[in-house]
Amino acid sequence: MKLDTLIRFQNMDRRWIFLGMGLAILIPMLVPITLPFKVDERVQALYDAVEEVPNGSTVFISADFGPSSRPELEPYFRATLHHLFRKDIKIVSATLWPSAPPLVVPIYEELAERYGKEYGRDWCFLGYKDGKELAIKSIGENIPNAFPKDHVGTPVGELEVMRGYQQAKDFPLIINVSGGAPGTREYVLQIQGQYDLKIASATTAVSGPDYIPFYKAGQLVGLAAGMPGSAHYEKLVFPDGPPEGVRLLATQAYNVLNVGHAFIILLIVAGNLAFFVTRRAEEQEA
Amino acid sequence: MSGIEIAGAWLSIFLTLCVLSFLYDDNPIYKLAEHIFLGVSIGYGVIEIYFGVFKPNLLDKLIDGTTAQQVLAVVPLVMIACLFAKLDKKRAWLARFPIAFIVAAFAGVKLTGQLNANLMTQVAESIPNIPEVWAEYGLWSWEADGAGVLSSIFLVIGLSACLLHFYFSAPQSKTMQKISRFGVLVLMLSFGASFGYTVMGRISLAIGRAQEMLGLDRPPEEVAVIHPKMATLICLVIVIGFLIAWRKRQGDGHEPAN
Repeated sequence: MKLDTLIRFQNMDRRWIFLGMGLAILIPMLVPITLPFKVDERVQALYDAVEEVPNGSTVFISADFGPSSRPELEPYFRATLHHLFRKDIKIVSATLWPSAPPLVVPIYEELAERYGKEYGRDWCFLGYKDGKELAIKSIGENIPNAFPKDHVGTPVGELEVMRGYQQAKDFPLIINVSGGAPGTREYVLQIQGQYDLKIASATTAVSGPDYIPFYKAGQLVGLAAGMPGSAHYEKLVFPDGPPEGVRLLATQAYNVLNVGHAFIILLIVAGNLAFFVTRRAEEQEA
Repeated sequence: MSGIEIAGAWLSIFLTLCVLSFLYDDNPIYKLAEHIFLGVSIGYGVIEIYFGVFKPNLLDKLIDGTTAQQVLAVVPLVMIACLFAKLDKKRAWLARFPIAFIVAAFAGVKLTGQLNANLMTQVAESIPNIPEVWAEYGLWSWEADGAGVLSSIFLVIGLSACLLHFYFSAPQSKTMQKISRFGVLVLMLSFGASFGYTVMGRISLAIGRAQEMLGLDRPPEEVAVIHPKMATLICLVIVIGFLIAWRKRQGDGHEPAN
């Protein structure tokens, strides 16, 4: 390859890279490919933690994500609701993110209808609570105090699913779908150790490395990080493929993600090669 | 689906493309989307906090609560009033009381959690039980992503080297410099892993938008009504057409901002 070409490659307009990245995402979506993958140990632990919850009991889900983390976390959120409703586990849910209610309520309603679950008896959504760490403290101490009414204004005392569940430690498992702060870190710092809670987390890829030490230390019983975490969970919940009317968005995206990564690795290798070859040539000229 | 829902789906696709047009250059159509986003976000946040926090926790208690609730609700009300004293220079000092309360409460709440969960537990976990690890994984387990005695020893040595790198009081002898360099190497590995995850997160977000623009995240009956692919194509033509017209107006001397 000529030296001029390598120099031009290094000084290439960055918009060509954006275009290339766009194509690396769009082409595998339009022409789908399927690559095999192995389920991560941390995601398997998350799945096993849900499997250990006795049928008919109730778990608490803190759905702390918004539009910015939706592509990574909604597939996990959907898969875990399928898993819980299928096992006849009841759900008490709330959020610490103001942007979450319009995202999560329609998903609850859609999947509750699919599995014939009734609001108030099999699941409830307590809505949004401001206060970040203080709100988490309140969830640890007294949920009816933190959320006197649910998201539609029903007093929590009138919700059948809430009977016998006054504070976080009453739940056999707490699942935190965490798009950032407040989220998993705050739950672990504020109430996990104090009440010795079983907390599982699904989080974004950005937060994943920060939460791995929590999993290693046993402060989290399971962890699904980013789009791959969601895809692995989908694989565990639907090992024989999706039933009718279910779309495995993370599994589909996982294959696209692989092509995107391959494109970036290619650029890094090519960029470094071009840099070292041109530098060597310049040194020889000098 | 109602007409508003269909219009909303088209608008969402149009605004996504407007934002992506920033990759070409900073331009008015991107600014339009940015300002709409900011305005809607702030408006939504205000409404959500008013109905989710301010009304049930303060107004409802003041108006419909018991006498005890009303008396207690006066405390945050007075604190809010004190915060607004910032607007008047003479009475601005009043705002210090609620701010001091907020800072003290958060410091207290954060401190215990940090010490217990982030420091003590993590320090305890960084000293692995070698016989237990050997019994569970052996020297190195490919099935468990490399867990084993080797990884545990590397963890302890890496952690110690990182801590010694930040131990500035020690004289920088040759041995210390070597340990410090190893610590830097371990830090770089850690930053690399974090950066890799960050890149993956960003690509995931792009995939999420692409899924919406191609209608892959909707059930077939909704796709048949919305026609997301057609919406994407039409919006793309509009955005590209605008960028061409805008570029012509800017002239040849214009330099990209990003």
